[in-house]
Formats: sequence, C-alpha cells, structure tokens
Amino acid sequence: MSSQESFNMQHNQDKASLLERLIFNNRPAVIGICVLVSLFLFWQAMLIRPSTSFEKMIPLEHPFIQNMIEHRNDLANLGNTVRISVEAKDGDIFSKAYMETLRQIHDEVFYIPGVDRSALKSLWSPSVRWTEVTEEGFAGGEVIPQTYDGSPDSLEQLRNNVLKSGQVGRLVANNFKSSIVDVPLLESYPDPNDPGRQIKLDYQAFSHQLEDLIRNKFEAQNPNVKIHIVGFAKKVGDLIDGLMMVVMFFGIALVITWVLLYWFTWCIRSTIAVLITTLVAVVWQLGLMHAVGFGLDPYSMLVPFLIFAIGISHGVQKINGIALQSSEAENALTAARRTFRQLFLPGMIAILADAVGFITLLIIDIGVIRELAIGASIGVAVIVFTNLILLPVAISYVGISKKAIERSKKDATREHPFWRLLSSFASPKVAPVSVLLALAMFGGGLWYSQNLKIGDLDQGAPELRPDSRYNKDNAFIIDNYSTSSDVLVVMVKTPTEGCSVYKTMAPVDELMWKMENTPGVQSAISLVTVSKQMIKGMNEGNLKWESLSRNPDILNTSVSRAEGLYNADCSLAPVLVFLNDHKAETLDRVVDAVKAFAAEHDQEGLEFLLAAGNAGIEAATNEVIRSAELTILILVYLCVAVMCMITFRSFAATLCIVLPLVLTSVLGNALMAFMGIGVKVATLPVVALGVGIGVDYGIYIYSRLESFLRAGLPLQEAYYQTLRSTGKAVLFTGLCLAIGVCTWIFSAIKFQADMGLMLTFMLLWNMFGALWLLPALARFLIKPEKMAGTQSKSIFAH
Amino acid sequence: MNVFTASVLLSLGLGLFAATAGAADDGPTPQTVYSQTSNKASHSLLIDIAKAGPRLVAVGERGHILFSDDQGQSWTQARVPSRQLLTAVYFADAKHGWAVGHDAQILASSDGGATWSKQFEDPSRESPLLDVWFQDTRHGLAVGAYGSLFETTDGGAHWQDVAERLDNPDQYHLNGIAAVKGAGLFIVGEQGSMFRSRDAGQTWEHLDGPYEGSLFGAIGTARADTLLVYGLRGNLYRSSDFGSTWQAIALQGERGALEFGLASATLLEDGSLVLVGNGGSVLRSTDDGQSFSVFNRPDRIALSGVSGQADGQLILVGQGGARLATATGAARAQP
Repeated sequence: MSSQESFNMQHNQDKASLLERLIFNNRPAVIGICVLVSLFLFWQAMLIRPSTSFEKMIPLEHPFIQNMIEHRNDLANLGNTVRISVEAKDGDIFSKAYMETLRQIHDEVFYIPGVDRSALKSLWSPSVRWTEVTEEGFAGGEVIPQTYDGSPDSLEQLRNNVLKSGQVGRLVANNFKSSIVDVPLLESYPDPNDPGRQIKLDYQAFSHQLEDLIRNKFEAQNPNVKIHIVGFAKKVGDLIDGLMMVVMFFGIALVITWVLLYWFTWCIRSTIAVLITTLVAVVWQLGLMHAVGFGLDPYSMLVPFLIFAIGISHGVQKINGIALQSSEAENALTAARRTFRQLFLPGMIAILADAVGFITLLIIDIGVIRELAIGASIGVAVIVFTNLILLPVAISYVGISKKAIERSKKDATREHPFWRLLSSFASPKVAPVSVLLALAMFGGGLWYSQNLKIGDLDQGAPELRPDSRYNKDNAFIIDNYSTSSDVLVVMVKTPTEGCSVYKTMAPVDELMWKMENTPGVQSAISLVTVSKQMIKGMNEGNLKWESLSRNPDILNTSVSRAEGLYNADCSLAPVLVFLNDHKAETLDRVVDAVKAFAAEHDQEGLEFLLAAGNAGIEAATNEVIRSAELTILILVYLCVAVMCMITFRSFAATLCIVLPLVLTSVLGNALMAFMGIGVKVATLPVVALGVGIGVDYGIYIYSRLESFLRAGLPLQEAYYQTLRSTGKAVLFTGLCLAIGVCTWIFSAIKFQADMGLMLTFMLLWNMFGALWLLPALARFLIKPEKMAGTQSKSIFAH
Repeated sequence: MNVFTASVLLSLGLGLFAATAGAADDGPTPQTVYSQTSNKASHSLLIDIAKAGPRLVAVGERGHILFSDDQGQSWTQARVPSRQLLTAVYFADAKHGWAVGHDAQILASSDGGATWSKQFEDPSRESPLLDVWFQDTRHGLAVGAYGSLFETTDGGAHWQDVAERLDNPDQYHLNGIAAVKGAGLFIVGEQGSMFRSRDAGQTWEHLDGPYEGSLFGAIGTARADTLLVYGLRGNLYRSSDFGSTWQAIALQGERGALEFGLASATLLEDGSLVLVGNGGSVLRSTDDGQSFSVFNRPDRIALSGVSGQADGQLILVGQGGARLATATGAARAQP
C-alpha cells in the first residue's frame, strides 16, 4: 500500500460512516460473504418449482370459500373432469369412420394415468344407455349395442338410441356433429409399479398427454375430425406451459437491458457488474422464496422481473454517480466510496418506499397476492445488499472505463438542449398550462373510470386469452352443447338423510325457479331436476307427473339416479346455477337473489349456503377485491406521503411528488376501463406496485431540485441543473423498469398480460409525471426565494 | 305390475292412514301462497289449454295459469293461489272454469281465467288430480291418480269423493274424462282401464278395452256415440258405439310406426281432430278419426295440450311452454 493511498484512506475514513468503514475496509470479506450466500441461495433457487395451488388464488377467509372447503368432499363429483369433444368436420357423428375414431380415443384415454376409468363416459361406454317406457315398464339397452358393426342399419339404430338416451346436449352435440368423451380425473392414483404408493396427478404432464396422444394423434389419423378439450386439468396444464414462456421473457428483458445499459454507460465492465449484481439479487430473491417455502405461481413470477428492473435502476444510479465522481477522484475505490456515501440514503429511502407499497398488499386476503407482497419485499431488501453494497464494492475493484469517465466529464459541463427544453416545464408560462392540462386529464380520467368493472370480463377461462386454443375449445362446447362454463353452486345443507325429503326438495325447487328468473341465469339443476324426470318416467313419461311427490318412498326412489347431486349421507345437495357470464354484476345479482332466498327459507334443518363452483369463487374474490380496492389505494398513498414527509419535512414537497402519482393512478383506472380489464386479483397489486416504485422518480428529482434551490438558483435553472445531473438516470430507470415488465404483455396468460400492460403504463407515466408535472407544481407550491441559502431539513442534508 | 307401481300402492296405504289421522285435528290453515309472477311462465312447463269464449287459458307447473286474448301471441299470468303442477283445465262457459292438479287441488275462476280461488285440496292423499269435466256451471267431475273421482253439484262449493262408484279394485290411475256426443261420459286410465256412464256420472260401467297399456285420454268426435282413446307408444283406438267395440288406428310416422305416447286431443270447429304427444308428435284427422296424418316436430319437444284456431292453425303447450304452430303442427313464427 503506497503512502498516497493510505493518506486517501485516512481522508476517506474521516467523513465515513460506520457502515461505510465496515464495508470498504473489509472488501474481500464482503465479496466472499456474497459469493457464499449466492452459492447457497442459487442452490435453493434451483429447487423452486412452479406452483398453481388452487387454494392460494382464492380468498380462504371468505365465508363462501369456507363453506366450499367445509363441504369439499361432498361436492367431489362436481369437480375434476376433462371433456374431449370430437367433432366431425363433414357430415355428422353417424358414420363408421367417426365412430371408429371415437372408439379409439375412448380406449386411448382409458389408459392415460390419472383417469378415473370406472367413470369414463362416451357413446362407447356400456353405462351410456337408452331407456323407453313400454307397456311392460322400462325398456333399455346400451346406446351402442353388442351387435354394432358400422353398417348403415346399425348406424340408423345408433341414431335412434341416441335420441332415446337423453344424451343430446350432454354427450352428443345438439347438432349431432360432435360428441364428448367425459373424463373424470383422480387427484391421486396408485403407482403402477408400486401399488402401495399414491402418485399425485401432474396437470402439466396430463395436459401434454392429451395433446400428444389424443389431439395430435387422432387429428392426423382421421383428417375429418377436430378435437376440442376443456376442463380444469387442461386449463392448469396450459397455464403452466404459459409460465414456461415467461422464463423466455426474462431472457429477452435481460438482453434489451444489457444493450440499453451499455448505451447508457459506454462501459462494458460496469455494464457487466450491474447485470451480475442484479442477477445475484434475483437469485437471492428466488432462493429466499424457496427457503421460506413459497413456490413460483403465475403472480409471484412478476417479482423476479420487478427485482431485476429495480436492481438495474439502482445500479444505474450508482454507475452514474461513480462515473461523475471518477472524474475528480484519483481511483475507483475513492469514487465508489464517495458514491456510496452520497447515494446510500436516497437509495434506501427509495427502496423503503417500494417495500411500503408492497407491504400494503398484505391486507388482501388472497394467498397469491400475499406471497407476491412478501416475495417483492424480500426482493427489495436483497437489493440493499447487492446493488447498494456489493455493486460499489465490485466497481471499486473493476473501475469504470476511461471512455465512460470522459463522457460523463464532458456531460457535466456541456449545454444540453433537450434538458434545457424540458426545464421549461418549470417556467411561469408553461407551468399553469401543465397544471390545467393535468386537471383536465384528472377529471377526464375520473369520469371515464366510472366504466371500470370489478372482476373478469371476458368469456371463457379468464386466466387465458380470449383467442387461446382453450377458450376457442370452450366456446365450441358452449355453442354446441346445453352447458355453460360459469357455474355457481348453492349448497343445500340438511341433517343426515334429509336431502331427499319433500320439506327440503320443495324449497330447492323454488330456489331453482327463482334462479332461473334472475337475469343472467341460463338454467339451474339439482336433484329436484332428476327427481321430477324420474317421477315422470315412473309414470310412463306422462308430463302430468313431472312434479315432486309428497310420498317419501317415491321421492327417495326418484333421486337414486341423481349421482353427484347429493352426498353420501344425503345431508348436502348442490344446486348448480348456470350463468351467461361471470361479469361482476351478473354474480352480484345472483348472489343477492340467493341471499334473499336463504334469509326467507333458512330454518332448522335446512340451510342454503353460498357458494362453490367457479362463479361462486369469483363472486367471493370480487367481494374481497371490492372491499380491498379503496383500502389499498388509501393505504399506499398514505404510506408514500408519510415517507415523503419524513424525507423532506415539507408539505409542499410531498404534494409535488404525490400529486403526479395520483394522476397516474386515475389515468391507469381509465386505461383499464378502456382496455376492458377489470379490477381483479392480478390488477389490484399493480396499483400498489406502480405507486410504490413510481415514487422513486419523484424522490430522486426533488432531492436534487431542492439542493439546487437552496444553492440560490431560480426554479427553472435549478430544474435544468437537476435534469442535467439525474435526468438521464431517471429516464433510463423508467425505461429499464418498463422493459422489465412489458415483455409480459405477450404472455399467453391473460392476467399476466394485463399486469404487464398496466405496470408498463404506470411506470412510464409515473416517470413522465415526475419530469413534467413535478416542476409545474413546484412553480406554484414552492417559494425558491425563501429556500435560497437555508439549511435543508431533509434527511439528505449533510 | 311393475315394481314402481307396487311401491306406490304400498306407500299410498300409509299415506291414507296419515291423512285420516291428520284430519282429526284441524291445525291452523297455512297462509295462502300464490304462484309467482314471472315473464318466463309462458315458457315453463304447460300441461293443458282450453278456450274460455274467445280467450285461451293454459295451466302448468308452479301454479302457472296464463291467458291470452290474441290467439296465443301474448300471455298474461293469472293470480292463482297455488304453486303446484296443474294438470288440466276446463271451461263450462266463457266465464266459469276449473283447473285441477297435484295435492288434489281444484281451482275455480268465474271471470274467464283472470283470477282463481281454491275450492279443494288434500295434500295428504299424495295423489294428483289429472282431468276435469263440467256439464254446466253447477255439475262437474274430476278424476285422478289411484282411482280418485270427485263430484260437485254446486259449482264446486262442495266436492265429494265418489271413487266407490267405479269398479276399480286395483285403484288404477284415472287419466282422462270426456263427454261423448249423444251417449254419455267416458273415463280412461292405467292398464287400459275404461269406464262409461250414461247418466252423467251417477253410475259407471267397467269395460274390457282393446289395450293393456295405459290410456292417457279420450275425446268424443263430431259424430254421435263416437270416441277416440289414446295412450302409450302411439296406441290409438276408435269406437263408434260408445266403447262396446274398438278399431285400432295405425299411425305411420316418417321412420315407421309412431312409438311416442299420445297425451291430449282437441276437436276443431270444422270437425277435424288433432292429437299431440311426446316426441313432438302432432296428428291430424279430417275423417272423424278414422285415419291420421302424423308429423313429428324436429324439436321433438314433449307436447301435452293443443287448441285450434278458426283458421286451422294450432296453439301447442308442453315442455318449454306455449307455441304457435301451423295446421300441421310445424313451428309458426311469433310475430
């Protein structure tokens, strides 16, 4: 160590805080610890798996969901079924070739692991029968008799049997151009190699098997058939496939950021240093997520992107600072130390603001949102170590290229026409116009966002895009069969053996009629539906008997075939209400109708409980979202405002920083209304994330602006100086953040695309708002002449 | 007899016992429950349709009674003190009509079907009434399940159980009652049972019919002593001597013999007959029921009632409510 160097050290130590000394006097130890931690957490991160736990996506504490979970076993039969519709492109299903393909598909499906073979149903199942009333009573047989040989005669017989089977609209399409293979699934099944062991159904593998063994194989084998597949398992399989694509997005974001970063720094060494420390942050975050027991679900997948983007933006601030310092400091170490000293606190404040935004999300009672909040908070905490500490230490070793230092030296002195132009936002002429314009946008945004809806608005599976294969298949089945994909289940609870007594069934019948008379309801079915049909059947198909019987024995007999419409001990009977759609107003209307009915008819031994079914879950989710929406907004703004007040000790400063964010939130709501995106599990966090991250810009800009004002510069000149020193970094930060999340717009998963779009908008517009509106507000709210020469009260003051 | 019928009969015994026991103490009368007004009522299950002067009146599930003053183009829901499935309606004149149904309910209207009052009910019987006929506004008869037969001679102020007038030891369901021109009354029921009365229902004669299966209804044609009875699986018989002898009427559908049950019939003003039934079956005869043309609607909807307009067009009721149809039974566009 030369004497010059040791003198510098001594000089540095004088002003250095304890933390700085601790870090920079033990640089090898810092690097070493980080490497060790990274190795451990990298191993942890490798173990993280996609998880699509159903329970984490629903509000578990909501009474609807509690009811559903309590009676989950009783509702088992309603659950996990995949339906494969085999369409004949030319002609109808009554052809030899079609029936042969259908038979092969039935057999192929039979052998896919996880299929409940005993309940597999298609026209080829012996259990699918026709019945007819004759003078002797019921007559019946298999729809496809043993004598079937594909001849025109046997196809004609098949057509008659199908008509008599009552399967039109269920197993056979209303137009006879397709039929369904109904595939009930087992959540877990015995291992064929080790019968004692249970294997849990792997939805992704199952979904791939359906694609390979059924869709691809048979569409190739018989060009006249088209296969449509729907069901929870297929949907989840497609979702997980969509998640895999997101990994690719991460690569794309990485490459774009790398190019941008190089363009910004002109230094390959620091570019790599920033990228690596940021990737270390991502690895730490993923590793910690796994260490605390979380998986990667479609929502928390956003977190690595956010952490990457936030990390890069802090890295850029650091590099910017070090480059500026390097032109004065004699070596990289000194430059790094000075930058650390200068930027650690504002960096901490910004990260704290992010974390505060994330933490507010914890009040929403939905697992995936809570995990997102915790994951993101862990992530930003990690950034403190990697980008605020590790990065300066790393740069102190590798240094910054001469070219970059030259450039930043030149930048510091030359005139910037672009920043000069932007600084006019603070001029007395432009500022009023800006403020009026902002007010107009605020008013317009508020007015338009009245159209904002709660919940999912598209047809079909809301998780996937409306034009995805799954949703096209779903639309095909809805169009051609008497069925709807939006089902709300009301659970009718009685004492044991109470579900099939007249006292229960008559009110259930009334409930069904009330439901069918509620706008948005297509139809309702329950054991009453089956009972009435059976009683009619017992009475020779005479419509005059299509009614419940007061006779207990008749009623009991009549529900014997209503499998799945009551539980094993006949204490719970679901009423399935099929809806036109799952829009919030439809769900509200139906839920209100059921609640009113329950209030009137609930009595000892008879309870009408909400709710199961996908529409029931959505109704519960909507209620939670609706009650949390305003709370989240108030809380996040309160937190951010308090942060600003603590930081700057100035009411005016707080307004200057927070008001542009408010405008962004309002415009964001209007954008959602315009794009037909509802407020839902996926978009609610965006509000908090957008505000939490968006406040960074304001903090960076205002802290510089304030220091120039105190130096006695007039507002517009002070703003010009602010832009010249941090404008580029702010602009770059905004771009980095936007790039990090905008790749999501291309996700196959609809809500990820919605999140990507909304976050991109909020992050870009927050940056724009900080650059444009903050100085205009400052023109009205801040008196530069009073600030000149005074000591700052802000915590950045030295 | 099949298993179902056996269990039904067994439980009936218990039911009757319970009824007697219950009748002893008169509990508080439950508050009258009216049918719910619904704009879906005209699309709900409707069982029977009748003319009240120029007005059409249809009855069906959940106590729905609807009337139309424009030949079925639009329907208005009547105020009805019932939520049970109503199975038959009959108007003695343009004002006075009766409807019967489950819980052995008998409802009456004296204003052409706009408002109704309950004249009789007995839920404890656990058996529905299935058809009703009135001679004038005073004297009427209602038939139903397990051999039920009720009579009134005072316009329904009192209804009397007169089931013992029939020789029906097995208590077969009585599905339909009809008047035969110049002859008397005719009742058909389960297992091909049939009864005739020449004295307006005071005494009944049991007949051995031509058919073992259930008969769902009977209708007198335009000619004296002539009637048709119809039932399961397209079985249709004609008698021109008030049921003493029968001719089977063969019914040929598009794909062979008609196999659907026939539920109801009507005699049009021009003397032609229309029958309807399951599988969207609409049958028409212009030779007093000696032969029928057969049409099966493509919707295969189960039909259970029919009324004809002066121009020969039809109004059908059944699953899915009331429908306008052409003279053949094909769908007619709603204007």
